[in-house]
Amino acid sequence: MTPHKLLELSLRSAAIGYVSLLILLPLAAIAHQSFIGGIAHFIEDISSPQASSALILTLEAAFLTTVINAILGTLSAIVLVRYEFPGRWFLNALVDLPFAIPTLVTGLMIAAVYGPTSMAGTWLQQGGLTLLYAKPGIVLAMLLVTMPFTIRSLQPVLIELEREQEDAAFSLGASPWTTFWKVTVPSVLPGLLTGVFLTFVRALGEFGSIVIVAGNIPMKTQVASVYVYGEIESYNPQGATSVSVFILLISFLVLILLERLTRPPGERMPRWLRWPNRPLDMVRPSEIG
Amino acid sequence: MPPSDWRYSTIFLASLFHLLLTWAAFSGSAMAGESRDLMLAVYSVPKEAYERTIIPAFQRSWKQRTGQDIRIRSSYGASGAQARAIIGGFDADVAALSLESDLDQITKAGLIAHDWRTGPNNGMVSASVVALGVRKGNPKGIMSWEDLARPGIEVLYPNPKTSGGAMWDVVAIYGAGLKLAEQQAGTRNNAKAESPETVAAGLLKRIQKNVKVMDKSGRESVTTFERGVGDVIVTYENELLPRINSHRPYEIIVPNETVWIENPVALIDRNVDRHRIRDVAEAFVSFLHSEEAQAAFTKLGFRPIGQAASQASSGTALPLPSRLFTVTDLGGWEKVSATLFGPRGTWTTIVEDLAREK
Repeated sequence: MTPHKLLELSLRSAAIGYVSLLILLPLAAIAHQSFIGGIAHFIEDISSPQASSALILTLEAAFLTTVINAILGTLSAIVLVRYEFPGRWFLNALVDLPFAIPTLVTGLMIAAVYGPTSMAGTWLQQGGLTLLYAKPGIVLAMLLVTMPFTIRSLQPVLIELEREQEDAAFSLGASPWTTFWKVTVPSVLPGLLTGVFLTFVRALGEFGSIVIVAGNIPMKTQVASVYVYGEIESYNPQGATSVSVFILLISFLVLILLERLTRPPGERMPRWLRWPNRPLDMVRPSEIG
Repeated sequence: MPPSDWRYSTIFLASLFHLLLTWAAFSGSAMAGESRDLMLAVYSVPKEAYERTIIPAFQRSWKQRTGQDIRIRSSYGASGAQARAIIGGFDADVAALSLESDLDQITKAGLIAHDWRTGPNNGMVSASVVALGVRKGNPKGIMSWEDLARPGIEVLYPNPKTSGGAMWDVVAIYGAGLKLAEQQAGTRNNAKAESPETVAAGLLKRIQKNVKVMDKSGRESVTTFERGVGDVIVTYENELLPRINSHRPYEIIVPNETVWIENPVALIDRNVDRHRIRDVAEAFVSFLHSEEAQAAFTKLGFRPIGQAASQASSGTALPLPSRLFTVTDLGGWEKVSATLFGPRGTWTTIVEDLAREK
């Protein structure tokens, strides 16, 4: 074996070992624990009134978060990449901050801004709007925590995007809207999808900020992660892991979908993962000829 | 993947595991060193009493008696989390928790071999009652449990699923409902009266309907209250007293009907034997019943442990509520956990009903 080959092999093993130790082993352990009582037990756990309503609320809020962040995140990314304005570098640096703040602190920040004693809180209350300790509070917490995903995954593709393509569309008589929709969007779509899916799965698992701002009333404002915490605290690890595994399954499906949607055309994938038809691939020249 | 890759990744994994194991073994042997160490696992509320008074005082008295220096390391955290940590291998020699049921879980796991309830004061070292905190001047005129059920009153208590404190709160409301039903039955025509359980469940339901935020612990609930949320907070008296003494803008109301709270302590047999520190652990547990330790608890807002039994509100002690009851009066924790908080329990059903009615 050549030294080069040996190096490659050991690097590859290190990567496999690292990923297995950090992710695969704990995942296997939790999956094992949740199915230890059989599949019937698992279904019973996740369909109990409190568990199922927590799961539905979480999915709803995460979905709403994803839609809002997809739209506002895209606009923010475009502004940050394309427009020169004073303080742009500062705004750009600010975007990553939600990742650096412990999410419990994020929750405290939201509570401080919109709490009943704050200015915004009193103002909202007079307008008859409740943000904190209600569903909007949950979405707000999820939005803040997941904000960097869309912006950060769109920025590099926006920078790479060749302006000439858009200019060509313009000069051929396309309206700005058509250009945006037919030229800009398709080319940044893989980046956007990455951001969108990461936002969704990250929002599903969020705990620290939500537990502070949501109110946590079972079957009203209690999300899945808070429910899981409650089951752990009341000595029901089985019920906790079942709901966790259900969230993991959804996240896993979403991430597989992402993997399929954003694969560059031509790259090999396991057969069971391949689309029957490729929605995002452009038809390759070899296939036309 | 070619088979050789598997071999390499196996070797890689095996060596990593080996590394972890050696490290664990080393740190383990370092902990069980020759100096005498006592490890405490305490729930978060009485931290100040332990750190400032009890631990130094015990070290002094042990030194006086035996000439030995004892190093005491203590960890503070939520009662349930401490219990789970001990079951999972945390090396604590003595556990001072907020709920009996948390100690029972450790017993069930086989780590406590003796019956800790046979100790002095049935194994309990501190006591309190469930009380109400209201805004300064009591603007909503809250005096009794029935006032918490009034429409428009916003109530705070944590989630009983995550907080032992909230279990006490719900037990206090339910038990107060039973007491009130008894009273009603005494004054009213017996044939028309509802069963005490229905009255109690009704009160609990009307109060739960007014609950705005359920935090994960009693401490957090107080923080939310201090943030300006809610008209009234249901929590331990000893959680409210020190804060009111440090001039926080709220007041304490002790309802006539409330529950007597006791917090247990036990040594963890398996750990004290492994660390060969049983003598110190036993001395520490009995020291907690000494006048000095009890004074430290009372200073922090707890009640003297024997107060309910002797019915005496002697000297500086706070007056006892007139219709005080204990968990034993309701059938003990095991029964209460099932009938109130179990999957078909009263509280669980109420929460589900309220969600459906909306």
